[in-house]
Formats: sequence, C-alpha cells, structure tokens
Amino acid sequence: MSGRVIVITSGKGGVGKTTTNANIGTALAKAGNKVVMIDTDLGLRNLDLLLGLENRIVYTIVDVVEERCKLKQALVKDKKNPNLCLLAAAQTRDKTAVTEEQLKDICEKLKKDFDFILVDCPAGIEQGFQNAVAGASEAIVVTTPEMSAVRDADRIIGLLEAREEIESYKLLLNRVRPNLIKSNDMMSVDDVVEILSAELIGIIPEDTGIITSTNKGEPIVNDEKSLAGKAYMNVARRIMGEDVEFLNLEEETSVAAKVKNFFKGLVRRK
Amino acid sequence: MKDNIFKDLYNKLLGFFRQAEESSKDVATSRLRVVLMQDRTNLTPQVMEKMRSELVKLLSKYLEMDNEALELNLEQDGNQMALMLSIPVIRAKSEDEIVEEDVEEEIEVEEDADETSDDDIDEEEVAEDIVVLTEEFPNKEVCGECRECELSDEIDCEKKKKVKSDKK
Repeated sequence: MSGRVIVITSGKGGVGKTTTNANIGTALAKAGNKVVMIDTDLGLRNLDLLLGLENRIVYTIVDVVEERCKLKQALVKDKKNPNLCLLAAAQTRDKTAVTEEQLKDICEKLKKDFDFILVDCPAGIEQGFQNAVAGASEAIVVTTPEMSAVRDADRIIGLLEAREEIESYKLLLNRVRPNLIKSNDMMSVDDVVEILSAELIGIIPEDTGIITSTNKGEPIVNDEKSLAGKAYMNVARRIMGEDVEFLNLEEETSVAAKVKNFFKGLVRRK
Repeated sequence: MKDNIFKDLYNKLLGFFRQAEESSKDVATSRLRVVLMQDRTNLTPQVMEKMRSELVKLLSKYLEMDNEALELNLEQDGNQMALMLSIPVIRAKSEDEIVEEDVEEEIEVEEDADETSDDDIDEEEVAEDIVVLTEEFPNKEVCGECRECELSDEIDCEKKKKVKSDKK
C-alpha cells in the first residue's frame, strides 16, 4: 500500500485547520479508508481534544523521533473507528524537536500501512510549517472569507508552489455565512476563489454545532443532520476522487429549508 | 413561492437604499486585490513612485502631459497581472521639438563624459533622484562634491580632484 500524504495548512491561525483535519480524517475512515492523522503543532497540540483522545495518549511524535518507542506504539486508535489513528504532538516541546527529515521519514513509513496520512500544520510560515509540508505531496489550504485569512492563504499558496514535492493544492473555504454573503457583507465563495485563483475542494458553512461537537470531543461528521458535517463528508468524497456537487448553502440555510427540516424531524420521531 | 417574492422585494428595497454606499464586501475585495498585488510582486510604494517619476521623464520627451495626473497601477486580469498606465495627454510634441531635446541630451551626455571618467549618468537626473536614492540606501555615503560617486568625504573622487587642482 502506498498512502497519500495530505498536509492541511492555512497560514493564519483560528480558521479551522484542526477541525478540518479531525473531520476529514473521520469522514475518510468512515468511508472505509485506513487513516492516520499527525499533529505537528508541537507545544500547542489540539487535535487530540477534537477527537476526544486526550486521555489515551502515551507516546508522542517526539518520543518516536527520539526513539523512546516504536512508531506503531505511538499511534492512538480512535474510540469509534478502528481505521482511524492519531500520532499526537508533544505538548512540552517546541517546533525544533522534530526536523523536516524526521517527519519525511515518519510519513514514508506510515505510507506502507495507511491509505491517507493527514498532517495537521501549525499556524505561521516558520519552521513548523516547513516541517509539516516536508513529507506531503498534496495540500489543503483552509481559509475563511475574511481579508486577513485570504491574504495569509495567498502567502501559503505562494510557498506551496515553490516546493517541488507538493504536486497539488486545493482550497477549503471554512466558516461561510450565506446570510452575510446575501446581504453583501461577506466575500462570496466566487470572490475568494477568483482572488486566490485556486481550485476549490470544499465549502463549509459556519455552524454552531462545531462548538458543541468540540466540547464533546466528537467530530461533527458523526452528526448526520448537521450541514457542516455533510459538507465535510463531501470533502472526503472529493478527496477520494468522487465528483460531488457543492451544497447550495443559501438554500439549505433559508427559513423555508429550516421549517422543512423541522417537520421532517417530527415525522422521523413518530 | 410566496416566501421568495417577499424576499426578492425586501432585497430590492434594501438594494435601493444601499446603492449610495459601496457594500463592505466590495471594499474588502478591492482592498485585498491591491494588497495581494503588492505581496506577490514585492513592488513597494517607493519603487512604484520611482518607476512613475522615471516614466514621466521618458514620456515627457514625446508628449506634453499633466505630470501630476499620471497614474500607474497594477491590476489583475484573471491569472495575469497587468501594469496599467493612464496619462492625460495635453498634446504630442512635434518632431522638431523631439530632435531638439535629443540634441540637448547629447550635449549633456558629452559634458558629463568630460567631467566624470566612467559614469555616463545624466547629471541632472541624478540630482533629482538623489533624494530617493539616499532614502532607499541610507547607509550609502555620498560625497559632498559631485553627489554621485558614493565616496565618502575623506576620499577624493575624480571631480573633487579636478576642482582641487583648478584651485592650485
């Protein structure tokens, strides 16, 4: 088996890299793929929290690199899905604890046993970013329809284009608010895609469910009713090569659709 | 269906009242475009200004124009970047005038060649640009005598030597 290594990056912090990582990873595993997620945000690890695995971590990526354990020992299995694993970051060390070469090496080894290796990249464009990108051949650039996030995404795209090993990169637009776009108070999906001139792989609506799902440590793709969960599921299907249409967010979030869903829910309950 | 009609009406009304001011989304996209253009090209406002002033100098040889109103902007057209130059032309200069300026320039160049040994920069040009130059390279020392050789005051440049020998 030779898995695909995909780095999830953004430049700006707080746009939803880690949430995206947890959800795409879970969605890919649900579809039957063997998936491992690597948290490279040394010193600021969070992927374990979003997956609800914070109490199960024994060894981290730094332990692997410093040969205190075997690579397989450091992989934490997901509670629900045995196809899903996490290689956690060390919380007590900084970005220099793992080098580009070491990360490349880990990715190469994991490729043999997994279909997908998702690398969660730290914010910024410094060494942490360079390390995370080192082993990957594909990238997903997460951004939101805000000026600062788009500007940083543009910078990241420039850096990705300069790296030969990155064969392709796609754009994931997160925290989209259809109501604001409609009233011309937020850049539309088309605006952002045109400005960055990058290929789109997903549009994720702003969803309060993300907050509650993070609280519970359970990715939102597990909630089939949630719109953001649906959108993330579609991203995973597109990664697997399926041709999936983008959700019409304006329609899905309209009052009429909400009323319809409410009655659907009632009927289901009976 | 009804829902849509009312929504359309509402949006149209809203649009009517909003027409006067640009939507915040449009402001954001246009600001972003400009900022990204600078980010991508590394063209700082200083460099653009220098380019502008040099273009004015070059073009004024052929055209009489409103120098102040000359606009130089980077614009994005799909994937391509375009340098847009907009010049309000007052009139084109006649051939005689152009030839005249050519002759003037040649004389200046010859004079320069006499004075400086290896530099053939137009002295006038340097004098005008000197502000920009020193701003950009604050560490470069410019000799007080000829203001173009970049030598410090302690070392004598060709021109300085000449002046000194004349005094003797």
